[in-house]
Amino acid sequence: MSDLNVMTPEEVAATKAAVMNQLPGAEIQGQSPLHHAELEVLAQKGPKQGGVHLKELKLLGHLMLRMNPENADQLAAVERVLGVGLPLQPLTSVENGNYSIRWMSPDEWLIIVPGAETFDIESKFRDEMGGHYSLVNSSGGSTVLKVSGDNVVEMLKKSVPVDLHDSEFPVGKVVSTVFAKSGAVVRRTGEKEFELVIRRSFADYIWLWIQDASREFGLVVEA
Amino acid sequence: MTQKNRLQSGGRIDRSKSLTFTYNGKSYQGFQGDTLASAMLANGIDVIGRSFKYSRPRGIVAAGAEEPNAVMQLGATEATQVPNVRATQQELFNGLVSASTNGWPNVDTDLMGVVGKIGGKMMPPGFYYKTFMFPQSLWHTYEGVIRKAAGLGRSPLENDPDEYDTINQHCDVMIVGAGPAGLAAAQTAARAGARVIIADEQAEFGGSLLSSKELLDGKPATEWVNTVVEELAGYKDVMMLPRSTVNGYHDHNFLTIHQRCTDHIADKAPAGQVRQRMHRVRAKWVVLATGAHERPLVFSNNDVPGCMVAGAVSTYINRYGVVPGNDLVLMTTNDYGYQTALDWDDAGRKVVAIVDTRANPGGARVEAARKRGLNVITGSAVIEVQGSKRVSGVSVAPISADGKQVTGSVTKLSADTVASSGGWSPVIHLSCHTGSRPVWNDEIVGFLPGPTVQKQLTAGGINGKYDTAAALAEGLEAGQKAVSEIGLAASEVALPAAESVEEGAPMSLFHIPHLKSTSAAPKQFVDYQNDVTAAGIELACREGYESIEHVKRYTAMGFGTDQGKLGNINGMAIAANVLNQTIPDTGTTIFRPNYTPITFGAIAGRNCGELFDPERYTAMHKWHVEHGAKFEDVGQWKRPWYFPKAGESMQDALNRECKATRESVGILDASTLGKIDIQGKDAREFLGRVYTNAWAKLAVGKCRYGLMCGEDGMVFDDGVTSCLGENHFLMTTTSGGAARVLEWLELYHQTEWPEMEVYFNTVTDHWATMTISGPNSRKLLAELTDCDLANENFGFMDWKQTTVAGVPARVFRISFTGELSYEINVQANYGLHVWEKLFEHGEKYNLTPYGTESMHVLRAEKGFIIAGQDTDGSVHPYDLGMGWAVSQNKPFSFIGKRGMAREDCVRENRKQLVGLKTTDPKAVIPEGAQGVFDPKAPIPMPMVGHVTSSYWSENLGHSVAMGFVKGGLDRMGEKVYYPLADGTVIEAEICSPIFLDPKGERQNV
Repeated sequence: MSDLNVMTPEEVAATKAAVMNQLPGAEIQGQSPLHHAELEVLAQKGPKQGGVHLKELKLLGHLMLRMNPENADQLAAVERVLGVGLPLQPLTSVENGNYSIRWMSPDEWLIIVPGAETFDIESKFRDEMGGHYSLVNSSGGSTVLKVSGDNVVEMLKKSVPVDLHDSEFPVGKVVSTVFAKSGAVVRRTGEKEFELVIRRSFADYIWLWIQDASREFGLVVEA
Repeated sequence: MTQKNRLQSGGRIDRSKSLTFTYNGKSYQGFQGDTLASAMLANGIDVIGRSFKYSRPRGIVAAGAEEPNAVMQLGATEATQVPNVRATQQELFNGLVSASTNGWPNVDTDLMGVVGKIGGKMMPPGFYYKTFMFPQSLWHTYEGVIRKAAGLGRSPLENDPDEYDTINQHCDVMIVGAGPAGLAAAQTAARAGARVIIADEQAEFGGSLLSSKELLDGKPATEWVNTVVEELAGYKDVMMLPRSTVNGYHDHNFLTIHQRCTDHIADKAPAGQVRQRMHRVRAKWVVLATGAHERPLVFSNNDVPGCMVAGAVSTYINRYGVVPGNDLVLMTTNDYGYQTALDWDDAGRKVVAIVDTRANPGGARVEAARKRGLNVITGSAVIEVQGSKRVSGVSVAPISADGKQVTGSVTKLSADTVASSGGWSPVIHLSCHTGSRPVWNDEIVGFLPGPTVQKQLTAGGINGKYDTAAALAEGLEAGQKAVSEIGLAASEVALPAAESVEEGAPMSLFHIPHLKSTSAAPKQFVDYQNDVTAAGIELACREGYESIEHVKRYTAMGFGTDQGKLGNINGMAIAANVLNQTIPDTGTTIFRPNYTPITFGAIAGRNCGELFDPERYTAMHKWHVEHGAKFEDVGQWKRPWYFPKAGESMQDALNRECKATRESVGILDASTLGKIDIQGKDAREFLGRVYTNAWAKLAVGKCRYGLMCGEDGMVFDDGVTSCLGENHFLMTTTSGGAARVLEWLELYHQTEWPEMEVYFNTVTDHWATMTISGPNSRKLLAELTDCDLANENFGFMDWKQTTVAGVPARVFRISFTGELSYEINVQANYGLHVWEKLFEHGEKYNLTPYGTESMHVLRAEKGFIIAGQDTDGSVHPYDLGMGWAVSQNKPFSFIGKRGMAREDCVRENRKQLVGLKTTDPKAVIPEGAQGVFDPKAPIPMPMVGHVTSSYWSENLGHSVAMGFVKGGLDRMGEKVYYPLADGTVIEAEICSPIFLDPKGERQNV
């Protein structure tokens, strides 16, 4: 396929967007962005009591969808693929079993699915959804940290400038914001539980920051 | 030592808890509840420092944030030194170590005191302005001496052992000040269900009520304070911040609060606690209940220790059980000042006289004083004080009704304390921070907050409502207003009944006349901290500085760390008088953040040490660390710089890395390259518009190098973009340019070409990228993939989807070294796995990791530019000799096309990028060196361009360099010279920048 002019129309259609299964066989272990922090060891050896709990939800599938939210056909296609419609209300999220969708911007959603299903879902999108959109696998580029506990709000108040009061930040709300000197997608999943989507390259910095900001409350690492 | 000025009972101190502290090396006792200032006064310490310019002994004059003199150096160890702490705001703790900041060599026998007498004359107002600013080159010489003499404290020489942090807060109502007005506002807002933050700079809430004997509902006022504080503590959404100064009030109701969490406990914060915390608050509504500061009067020798602000004397007596002297003379322009004499009398010490500047005072407090038989002298003033390290007596004389002249003979009275009250100045500082200009009010003889665009309310003393009943009522009103603006239902609050005191009218008087003219009379201080006198202000006005802003700068009035809290209004009044205009006509200077000095620690917060700035790591970072990489910062990325082996110098390592790559195979972690996924049917057209070259015919499976320019036609980024699918591209950018390029694409898409169907997403972090480069790279890769790597099937500038070491990968055959190269991209979670597999198989090929420095050398040997190193925003593609990367024939224009066609961009003799071959092959021209055509030309020599890249090339056995030379592309073979700082000159020949393999055969094998 070195020259457009000698490709068949079928070939052209098939290559409009390049979709690839990026996962190797199960015999090769993936290393999440916080692999080097050895959270499993800390979970075993570290304190079991504390005001802030942290768990990396690692090696999940992260798909970034960009499309026009007024396209009814595409909205229907999303629902066929994920079993749930896109959250169209700004700063909200929806869930369906293992799938969650975060509103990111007026034409952008982050879909998080089990890692092994990523390629399958990506392929289904390509089958089910026509027209102009983009779907990008960014699973290697970010990870999810679940932070929870009695003092999780205080820890986050030291880290993000947004208002985390339950009246302003109810369960299900999503905000992309600065996290210390990096960034995070913050989503509330419970009264005292949040998920942070953070970028791989900044993960170590954010891990250091969370340890520091949690010190006065005690940090419990969960495996 | 006994606390000779301590009362046996009374005040809010705990006499059962004795605390030891030191001041200038001597040990003293105080009590729990003392401030450093109250403890010093209790111990009879008169002199706490020397003045800035005249080196006069100075004592404590106030009891709060407005204190100009008692600015101390604290710290028991070198590491815990803190300068600029007001003794009046520092709570006493056991083991506190304090020292005066000004007093050289010590406050009691000050060498500067001798100099000061002369030095004063040598330093008239405007001294800085006139002398030190010219010649500017000598400022550094003066500065050291001035600083030492001025004594502004010093910073520690060791690292601060304490931690400081920052926290973000949000609320409905932010209440600044927890006096009667603030507490009433807080109670009102809290009961309505609002989210409230109330902050006060003092340790306890209560404000003025803590220092008075007033009754509320017939009980001590502090009982009401306790009730309200208890109630507030019960609300989940109310945050009470004592020891917290609201230091800045910024746009959109953003406030910064400096909380001193442990400054009152010990020299160093207890383990696990931060010393200070900065709160960054966003408030829907702000209530300023900041109260007022009492103004002292300006009279001769009013700086002699023992001269104090009247209200401060009452505070020391009532709150701390300290009477700061024995024999008091009170001078006042108003009724309220009488309270100090009454308090002094209650404490059982002698009131020598109450000197009232008014001819016929007659309010309730005046009557009370008369009833007690206190000596009230009316229509008179204390025109001069006697004494040097402590007041010994005063001169009292009758004055005219307008207060401008002495009208009779002087009576001398013996006294050790002079309290003065010139009325009150509302604390409008925070209101000024938002740009609001204060407004003069004749009735209260002071400035009130001006109109504001903020959602801001004011209550109590800041509005000139000094009476407790009025302050409470205003607090309630502000609370209800804020609540209703937020949309909450009004709450029920019953205010306590306050006693009402009938007061006579105050006199508007600031500057007490003397028998002599102001310039001839003994010094009358306006701004203690900067030694600004009434005479100095008059001189400034006479010299033509009529604007109050100019007077301020000329005299340095209000320039100190106290920002002129006590003196500014007096100074303006004096200037107005000299200029023969009113105070509102004269106007006022305004205040800026911060309200009080704040530590660097609190500003820095946790953004220090390892958290100073994020360090970004690639998926292979751990391997680099384990293999001894030296790192280079590229943006926030930590990139391996080079990998030295034991005993190798940097140059040794580079030589080895470069040779291994050219002779066998090297590997680079290129994960930091910016990567942008581009999808949509218009993606190709979009690329054609943002890149200078053509993209219409790039086929699926192919890669192309592109240059990106700004509208001005100047190169700002470059990289390879690959066609993944007909509507799908992967763009790479420079490591530092990734975010900027993505924003650039979004900017143009969203603002200029929204009709184009294209989406951009960053995938920089998603892919781990490793480049294997060198003649053996194909052999190495072949061991780990089934992909057909034969040149005819996988040629230069092709990419393939395949599997490498069992991991799905995209492999790009692109080269930044000029060697046969493969750039392997795998999902980053598998990056380290593939990297390690390459090394398992690479040992037999001497697979050598190299870092950014060898990358630079290898690309420079090939004349490849680095955007940002060989470009600086002032060069277009033709300047770089890269006209081949510009397509002038695209149907739609491209960004930069018009810019690079501007007259200046197409003129002759522009600086152009060329290769530079040194005559001495061993000479490496320093990067940044400026070239000249004639090294014998007289200085300043005409400079013709600088060197942008320059390295030793072990592969070529000579140095390689690139640089700009005027008209360089037409000067091939000519000489250019680089005179260096050491006097030597490096000669170089202008040549093609491609030093190695000009035909590009090595990468095409």
